[in-house]
Amino acid sequence: MQNAGLEYDYTVSKWFAYLAIIFGIVGMSIGTYIAFELAFPGMNEWFGQYGTFSRLRPIHTNVVAFGFTLSGIWAAMYYIAQRTLKVSLKENSFVHGLAKAHFWLYLLLAALMVTTELMGITTSKEYAEMEWPLDVLTVVVWVLFGMAMFGMIGMRREKTLYISMWYFIAFFLGVAMLYLFNNMEVPTYFVTGMGKWYHSVSMYSGTNDALVQWWYGHNAVAFVFTVPIVAMIYYYLPKESGQPVFSYKLSLLSFWGLMFVYLWAGGHHLIYSTVPDWMQTMGSVFSVILILPSWGSAINMLLTMKGEWNQLKESPLIKFMVLASTFYMLSTLEGPIQAIKSVNALAHFTDWIPGHVHDGTLGWVGFMVIAAILHMAPRYFKREIYSRKLMEMQFWLQTTGIVLYFSSMWIAGITQGMMWRAVDQYGNLAYSFIDTVTVLHPYYTIRAIGGLLYVTGLFMWAYNFYKTMQSDKVLEKEPAFASPMGA
Amino acid sequence: MENIRELQAYGYFFFTLFLVVVLYAYILHLYRAEKKGTRNYEKYGKLALDDEIDATPVEPNDKGTDETKENKEQS
Amino acid sequence: MFHWLEQRPFFFSVGVFLVIAFAGLIEIVPDFAQASRPVAGTQPYTLLQLAGRHVYIKDSCNACHSQLIRPFKSETDRYGPYSLSGEYAYDRPFLWGSKRTGPDLHRVGEYRTTDWHENHMWEPTSVVPGSIMPAYKHMFTQNADLETAYAEALTVKKVFNVPYDQPGFTKLGSWEEAKKQALEDAKKIAADMKNKDVKEAVERGEIPEIVALIAYLNSLR
Ligand code: HEC
Repeated sequence: MQNAGLEYDYTVSKWFAYLAIIFGIVGMSIGTYIAFELAFPGMNEWFGQYGTFSRLRPIHTNVVAFGFTLSGIWAAMYYIAQRTLKVSLKENSFVHGLAKAHFWLYLLLAALMVTTELMGITTSKEYAEMEWPLDVLTVVVWVLFGMAMFGMIGMRREKTLYISMWYFIAFFLGVAMLYLFNNMEVPTYFVTGMGKWYHSVSMYSGTNDALVQWWYGHNAVAFVFTVPIVAMIYYYLPKESGQPVFSYKLSLLSFWGLMFVYLWAGGHHLIYSTVPDWMQTMGSVFSVILILPSWGSAINMLLTMKGEWNQLKESPLIKFMVLASTFYMLSTLEGPIQAIKSVNALAHFTDWIPGHVHDGTLGWVGFMVIAAILHMAPRYFKREIYSRKLMEMQFWLQTTGIVLYFSSMWIAGITQGMMWRAVDQYGNLAYSFIDTVTVLHPYYTIRAIGGLLYVTGLFMWAYNFYKTMQSDKVLEKEPAFASPMGA
Repeated sequence: MENIRELQAYGYFFFTLFLVVVLYAYILHLYRAEKKGTRNYEKYGKLALDDEIDATPVEPNDKGTDETKENKEQS
Repeated sequence: MFHWLEQRPFFFSVGVFLVIAFAGLIEIVPDFAQASRPVAGTQPYTLLQLAGRHVYIKDSCNACHSQLIRPFKSETDRYGPYSLSGEYAYDRPFLWGSKRTGPDLHRVGEYRTTDWHENHMWEPTSVVPGSIMPAYKHMFTQNADLETAYAEALTVKKVFNVPYDQPGFTKLGSWEEAKKQALEDAKKIAADMKNKDVKEAVERGEIPEIVALIAYLNSLR
């Protein structure tokens, strides 16, 4: 009780929440736009060279992954860290300053990222498209983030770090390592004194470059779309439902299981090597045994709701989070299936892959960020959430959107994969390439509509958030658990 | 080149084996410790629930205490 | 042991870092050791081709096209011999792509010609009805950036010992020489094209993006 009068300071968390909403709408609107382009290619010409599918795709992926998702994660981090460590940013103006600098530099970086990519300045490496000056800025932003986070940890009143903090630390370290290695490049201007100053050439060539890139690409998914989002669900679901996490021990295991397995799951590299067969098989079996604890997180979350399932009916926020962990399980199951050699031969390069990515990102990442920010809104503003009904509608609209998205992409991917390899009775290829493109038109249309539904949901989210800020239903005191919401 | 690949494969195999053993031994340890009553892990679940700034910490982080001594008591 | 870690953020971070870094290293280093050596006959890109490659990257053609023919009969029938690791030795960055919305392009130089590309890049549906590829008309008016391409070629020559100017390999030379050579190459390509603006630009000594891009596409064999 020695801290009477002290309050948590949500300033930075709130800023990041605003950004998450803006980037979510921008990034996913662009995504929906380019989805429509695949169905109706005439749209490529609407904005000259700046509106083609190929210019916009990296912007879509970057704004959604590094704009929407990272902002959402940081909004949550600056909130959860204060609360579970029981420190307020008000107590230390230096750490608070770091957090603010983190925000502003990040905003600058994001703006530069969008501008340069629109101009076609890109390294072409997926999810690492930024050229070297922006890579340098990224490192600065990352260091500020780390200093702010460890600063808060250093000040903590609570001796033990809560589960969420473990995941945030792993997120910080993992991304730092991956990003640095993948973006090794030589600025050409400094070597020759000629050409554009911001141009660079990759330190690795050909196959090696591809290896590093996909080592990064796969694990960036792990450390941006999985680890910090798990951090979020471990806090928000227990807090919103008022139930302590089902098993703290299981969460310990899941954490280390995930750390062990995620970077280590590359056993498929060894399929052709010279070691005995039984060993390769056992290797795969052990990987599966290791994966079990990493599934533990999702199970842990579902079990946290044990005996409290009525909350699922009552609270749209709980709905979002429970469905999110279900999608997490779905996509972590689907991923390994696609890694099976024969399945991969069919699925690789087809629309099944974007389908897989999107049930993870829209269902798991998107829903968690949406739920987290709505949970924080009444605490930020000391006001009731504007409308439960709107949230319900958003939930169902977006769920429909996701289902349309992945079902159409599954069918499209498998259809196209089968057509590419189909042969006639003489063993000649049965279809020309363009046949395998035109057949996809209906699925591309359905997918784009799915995206449109999801984006519509985001607008409802933004509106709900905005109206909460304006609401006159002021709360006396921060709600402990379930977020209060108007009709 | 083949040598490196083979080494890598053996390394991979034994390391996964090692991880599996460590992880599952750890599970055992956790449950045993709790059964014997030396430790209560589940109380840390409260970290997320009682997170008001003026709530009493589950375990206060007193900078002054001697950490090594405390550890002996725990184990 | 782990419980001890959760109360000591420093050691906790070290532990996490060791686990992920170690796994990462074991996974990637041995593959790296098999450094991709160039297959005999593989040549570094000429200046014009490299500038074209930059156009390809600038407009992210790799968002829809792969450059990796897998060793399946259905792929070798469609695209030609499967890709070898050593063929990419001079590719910085690699452009394998991850999605085949359009066909693989690793050997497109074997079966498509300059005039085909010209028509196709201007208006894909005029050549392949039903195509969903965007038209790239702006490439006919914007110029390629030879100087940056030269800077890159010189950098890889100096820093990574790419065998430019060695006997039997692509000649790069000084900036003046390289530029002259690139213009000559461009003229040959423009001769097979019909777009007036492009032809005139090349006469004036400029190199529109489309010319460089076609030089690059033709080099993919
Ligand atoms: C929206 C996806 C998309 C983008 C972006 C795209 N293409 Fe295509 N491309 C296609 C499709 C679909 C086809 C097959 C139909 C056709 O030939 O037009 C194709 C065909 C081609 C072909 C013919 C290959 C063959 O074997 O017939 C070439 C060459 C080509 N594209 C080059 C490019 C270049 C260069 C760029 C970048 C400036 C590019 N494409 C960007 C979708 C795309």
